[in-house]
Amino acid sequence: MRRRLGFAVTAALSAALPLVLPQYTLTIVTEALIFGLFAMSLDLMVGYCRLYSFGHAAAYGLGAYSCGMLLARLELPLPVGIVLAVAITVIIAIPIAWVCTRSTGVSFSMLTLAFAQLGYAMLYRFKEFTGGSDGIDGIPRPVGPFGIAVLQGKLGYYYLVLFCLFGSYLLCRTIVRSPFGAVLSGIRENETKMRALGYNTRAYKLTTVVLAYGFGALAGALFAAFAGFASPELFFWLASGRVLIMVIVGGAGTLIGPILGGAGFLFVENQLSQLTDLWPLIFGTIFIGFVMFAPQGVWGLITRSIEKSPAVTEAIEREETSGAAS
Amino acid sequence: MDFLGFAVTQCLNALSQAAVLFFIACGLTLIFGIMRIVNFAHGAIFMLGAYVGYTAIAITGSFLLSLVVAPIVVGIVGMAFERVFLRPLYGRRDGGSYLMLTFGLAVVLSEAIRLIWGAQPLGAGIPRFLRGVVFVFDQPFPLYRVFLIALGVAAAIAVWQFLERTRAGLLIRAVSQNAEMVHALGVDVDMVRTVVFGIGCAMAAFGGALAAPLVTAFLGMGTTVVIDAFVVVIIGGMGSFLGSIIGSILIAFVQVVGSYYFQELALAFMYLLMLLILVIRPGGLLGTEE
Amino acid sequence: MPLLECKRLIRRFGALVAVDAVDMTVEAGEIRAIIGPNGAGKSTLFNLITNVIRPSEGQVIFDGEDITGLPVYDVSRRGIARTFQRCHIFPALSARENVRIAAQARSPGRWRFLGGDAVLTRSATEADEALERLDLSHCADTKAGFLSHGDQRLLEIAMAVAQRPRLLMLDEPTQGLSIQETDHAVGMLNAMLADGNLSVILVEHDMEVVFRLADNITVLHRGRVIADGAPDVVKVNAEVRSAYLGELS
Repeated sequence: MRRRLGFAVTAALSAALPLVLPQYTLTIVTEALIFGLFAMSLDLMVGYCRLYSFGHAAAYGLGAYSCGMLLARLELPLPVGIVLAVAITVIIAIPIAWVCTRSTGVSFSMLTLAFAQLGYAMLYRFKEFTGGSDGIDGIPRPVGPFGIAVLQGKLGYYYLVLFCLFGSYLLCRTIVRSPFGAVLSGIRENETKMRALGYNTRAYKLTTVVLAYGFGALAGALFAAFAGFASPELFFWLASGRVLIMVIVGGAGTLIGPILGGAGFLFVENQLSQLTDLWPLIFGTIFIGFVMFAPQGVWGLITRSIEKSPAVTEAIEREETSGAAS
Repeated sequence: MDFLGFAVTQCLNALSQAAVLFFIACGLTLIFGIMRIVNFAHGAIFMLGAYVGYTAIAITGSFLLSLVVAPIVVGIVGMAFERVFLRPLYGRRDGGSYLMLTFGLAVVLSEAIRLIWGAQPLGAGIPRFLRGVVFVFDQPFPLYRVFLIALGVAAAIAVWQFLERTRAGLLIRAVSQNAEMVHALGVDVDMVRTVVFGIGCAMAAFGGALAAPLVTAFLGMGTTVVIDAFVVVIIGGMGSFLGSIIGSILIAFVQVVGSYYFQELALAFMYLLMLLILVIRPGGLLGTEE
Repeated sequence: MPLLECKRLIRRFGALVAVDAVDMTVEAGEIRAIIGPNGAGKSTLFNLITNVIRPSEGQVIFDGEDITGLPVYDVSRRGIARTFQRCHIFPALSARENVRIAAQARSPGRWRFLGGDAVLTRSATEADEALERLDLSHCADTKAGFLSHGDQRLLEIAMAVAQRPRLLMLDEPTQGLSIQETDHAVGMLNAMLADGNLSVILVEHDMEVVFRLADNITVLHRGRVIADGAPDVVKVNAEVRSAYLGELS
């Protein structure tokens, strides 16, 4: 109950934000939310399954480029472009996930990195298609099928991103609190045991990676239409590093932590990078500090939330409130 | 074109690349052997070596001196990192912590390098006494690369002798096999680990200082190299010194052949190779697959 | 038809033959103990049967079906549940959640990520039942990592039981337990096995436990079966005595 209230209040506040913020800040907040979504997508892998990806930028980049190409070259309506971009990335993610989940530990991480590097290299190789180092420029936000032009403006786009973020969060939270999510927590705790219990753990890990790519692609697609361009830097290893750091510092395994971490980071970076060139260095050091002293991240520290089968409690709650209990 | 000459020069080319790769991979495998962690920052260490080497040349004008200074400086940095950050985490059973830590180090190092040396590639160029070519079957071949091969062979022999014949080497081998036992015998295992980490970093830095005149010191040289080194170590066997030699040679040859025949895919080729290898031999390092 | 048949199981690790041509047959409803000195290959045999490791040679037949070499999770689904020597549980999760996840494994609904409430509540009920049977209900909400060693072992058994197996394989279930805890565990097991629906194979070092529980005993020594039969028979077997006491007697 408290959770629902918290969610409602946050939603209301976020929706009201544009009323108090100047337009310039709104743009930054929009980008921050996109990055928060990106970070949350990685949390599915890192926080819930302990799959440390060093190449999640690939999901973002694939989403951005797909969306960019669909909108700029084919001039599809914005919502269609975004949905298709996610679909395309998910399809590409399946063989990637299949390969990566063949290994565990560091090998897994190296494989994810290799795929991102491969993507980066491919962008240069197929210059004519992808625009090479210039990337795709001038991505429009085409008017929708019913002439819905509201998304073309900053305000409209802010609400689109907000909608996607909250929607994705709800979806992810449902996933995490579901039987499937319980399997993930079991895999995270003791994969050997899960296999002994009868779970095909590799299939679950594969699915998680694909889901993470899907949500990451959504963030990338939103970014492409937001910024109006997509460039190879999106695939660079430091971009993967940034979002991974965001997840850890924000609080892996909490969904909310990474959203706040990602959004907060982008905001702070935007403000601080104007002040100092030292920012990424400071940031990396902060990261090391968290790994050593506060691995549960900021949100983890705040809530100290460790599982007490909340999924089951919630499910029982739901059954009771819906009057199904006899 | 004389095919024999061409083939031989290509082989020598590969061997020179193998030499540089060996310096990095050997360090990586030694560190793994003794600590059971993969030092993700190894590529950044290599890069640091290249930059420090460049500065050493800039200050002293001596290339040979840079080959001494770079490993020492970077080795000390490595030991400091191990002592301050890695050692406290030995209690934790979570393998993810090490991964994140060395990753954090990689990021911090990359950024620090960018801040100190700037974003432009830096190159002092090949030192005068090593410029020029030798003729192999009438084909010209850079003298510098011959130098690399010679150093690679010398280093391989030196490390081999060190591990096999000296007491320190014995200690290192013992700790990689059974740290607890060695500790029970009264040896300061923590110290051994710190030193080996330093040696591993020093070797990678040496490789970096050697590579700099050839490819210039540039940002991002670390990432490609860490993946390459990782592949070498996977093939040769994690923790196997001999494996790092064999793996380096193998990978270097594949790279040279690949970039010749599949020129267009040159950049992508290395990654495809790695994917292929990890697909065939997924054997996770920290986990196990059937 | 026997429930489980091991046919000439062999497992080599290089030059070491850990399991050497082991033949073993377990009937439905039987309680079989596997005993033997350290290094006899008992745990390896367990791992071979459940396919944690692959046999070098030989077959494992479960309920008439050849399960040799099947992935570990497939073996579990066919009705074999096991515990581990090292006590594998989920330390950060509550005891109830531990067992619930085990109970959930059988249900096709375990894949659901939307609308899986029914699956969650059903498996929670089954988990509570299993906890009840093993007298662990009082610590259902405690994190498994905080339980006493004895309770953790019982928890692992509860998890195995929640899988509704036909064959339960217990790998040294009383290892590390105090005398009271062992007594408690054996009492629990006896109560559970009273209805005779479950077959059990257990590896044990504690002879008292073996004699209290087992219908039949298989003795392993250096990877080979050196005796097989009712407890009274095995007790007096000369080869068994010498295996345990060495050549001195």
